[in-house]
Amino acid sequence: MTEILNIVAVGLLLGGVYSLVSVGLNLIFGVIRIVNFAQGEFVMLGMYGAFAAQVALHMDPYVSVVIVTPALFLLGAAVYAVILRPLGGEPMMQIFATFGLLMVLQNVILAASGGAAYSVDSVLSSRSVSIGPLQFGLVRVLALTASTVVTAGLGVFLKMSLQGKAIRAVAQDRKAAQLMGIDVERVYTISFGVGAALAGLAGCLLSPLYTMSPQIGTNFIMPAFAVVVLGGLGSVLGAYVGGFIVGLTEALAGYYLDPSLKDAVLFLVFIIVLIVRPSGLFGHAGAEEVGLREQS
Amino acid sequence: MRLTRRQFGAVTLATLVGGASRAFAADPIKIGAVNPYTGAMALYGDEVTRGFELCADWINGQGGVLGRQVQIVRASAASAQEGIAAVEQLVGRDKVDILTGTYVTAISNAASESALNYNKLYWETNALARDLTDRGLPNFARSGPSGREFAQRSVEGVLELVASRLGKAPHDLNIWLEHEDSAYGTSIAKEQEALFKQAGVKVGVGAHSAKSIDVTDSILRAKAAAPDVWMSTAYVVDTNLLLRAIRDQGFKPQAIVLLGTGDTKETLAALGAEFLEGVMLVSYPRPDINPTYGPGAAAYLKAYQTKYNRDPIAPQSMNGYVGLKILFEAIAAAGSVDYEKVIAAAAKLDRPVGTYETGYGVKFDDKMQNTRALPIIAQWQGGAVKAVFPANAAAEGVKIVNLPRS
Repeated sequence: MTEILNIVAVGLLLGGVYSLVSVGLNLIFGVIRIVNFAQGEFVMLGMYGAFAAQVALHMDPYVSVVIVTPALFLLGAAVYAVILRPLGGEPMMQIFATFGLLMVLQNVILAASGGAAYSVDSVLSSRSVSIGPLQFGLVRVLALTASTVVTAGLGVFLKMSLQGKAIRAVAQDRKAAQLMGIDVERVYTISFGVGAALAGLAGCLLSPLYTMSPQIGTNFIMPAFAVVVLGGLGSVLGAYVGGFIVGLTEALAGYYLDPSLKDAVLFLVFIIVLIVRPSGLFGHAGAEEVGLREQS
Repeated sequence: MRLTRRQFGAVTLATLVGGASRAFAADPIKIGAVNPYTGAMALYGDEVTRGFELCADWINGQGGVLGRQVQIVRASAASAQEGIAAVEQLVGRDKVDILTGTYVTAISNAASESALNYNKLYWETNALARDLTDRGLPNFARSGPSGREFAQRSVEGVLELVASRLGKAPHDLNIWLEHEDSAYGTSIAKEQEALFKQAGVKVGVGAHSAKSIDVTDSILRAKAAAPDVWMSTAYVVDTNLLLRAIRDQGFKPQAIVLLGTGDTKETLAALGAEFLEGVMLVSYPRPDINPTYGPGAAAYLKAYQTKYNRDPIAPQSMNGYVGLKILFEAIAAAGSVDYEKVIAAAAKLDRPVGTYETGYGVKFDDKMQNTRALPIIAQWQGGAVKAVFPANAAAEGVKIVNLPRS
């Protein structure tokens, strides 16, 4: 019994990591209809931002969130304004541009770091939480908590605030929103910025868990795509729930089958969900299509 | 004195021929160094080539080889395809005489086959996979240890050193072999498993992807097997992730043995000196080894520090340095840079263990694998890595610490 409880707990904590990384990706897709391949690189930048803040300012990564997250928001907004907006009429080109951005960001960090792997230290890094016979790293518990808070906060922001309502309106129907006087390009810029900021936040919070390399973002992006497809393209709640589905699938398959088979099992589940319910658990029917063509 | 036209012609011809032969004698031996200098592995590719460059400096200070200076020419290859392109560039544009490398097996594999197309020697110093020599490529030799030697040394260390420290007979040991699931980790783990089974040791095996976001499931599987010794063959990033999961899950094997990685500051920064205290490392011999085991290692370290203004980041560079030293001996014995002659001369070299800075000797087997190039076992002690096994490799005053782990 302890064994299964432990594995489920490991899966849920891993789900928290995936949710945190995927929420921003799904927001960008839901609003702008862009599959952002560079989202993992924003997570990577968040990690390196935490590292830079620690080296330069001796900041704990949990404190550096206050610098790194706004910085990633500005970077995301700038990326949208400079790279993606000019390609507004070419959705496929926007997707390719995000892939190009992935390569640029990865190689810039590679050139800056010389390929060395870095770690950041937090006062919480080596602390564990014990519940009965179960033991977890505190950093993972914090990541799970943060993903829950972020999802709830984003939900409230989208539902209650004027800006959030504008984002939802654009996501539902861009033309109608424009006719209602909403500045669609501004909404896109803010949405992309928020998506990047959420990735930066994830990078900061996860940085005590990982040894950083410029390629680490690509390790996150494949499971993150699985998360958003399982949870539902464009759904913030879907990304949250999808994270747990992916985390539990990986943990159970890794422990009871073989760790080297867990990706195979995960993507088998991914394919089955695509066949049975193309819109995912919380997605809207057709969302998987509109991302690939210009919204009318 | 007046010269006749015939005498003038003879003098002119003699001058031209003499000048040309002097020019020929002054031409350096160019050695193309194929390694990743960009991309994720650039740090270590560069480190290996630094060893080559230091060895070229050393031999040039001795007057060179065959009366010719040695020049190292770099060409970057971060993948197998780039390895082929690097060889084409080095041979076609830079006119190198010999090729060497390589931090990555896959690059060595492709680059050495490409070198054969140009009838050039590919002198391997660092790539590990046993398959490289098992191919029987006629232009290929490996001066450093292969994965098999790493596996053998790790098993030897556990059976001879760890078992006695744990107060157990080898057949009472319970071992867990964790490995990353590419050819590198899998081949070494298979060698280890076979050797342990021969010794009657109980073995469990687990594999993980080096790109995993989480490896807690792997650690829980190992923990459930309750091993005395947890051993891992992986890369830097996943090694650190595994060790963090060990710490977070409260998994406490009596000994942790890492193979190939875990011996750099990257792991120290990730885990801290306290957790790493006593962790054992199967690695290339390091410059801090006992001077009676590796004569000249201290001088090598000094030369490195002088040229690069810092300490080596990893022991791969000294392995590359010694590899080229052996190559120069083979070239001198062959009297040529022709690959068939150098391979034939290398096959006849016979140097006892303890000849070089790494403690290596030279005796190539019929596949041109140096059988006297052996890794050592080191240990994290107070935030530094110290050689501890074989006993004569340990520096004066170095003792085994924290084994069994507290």
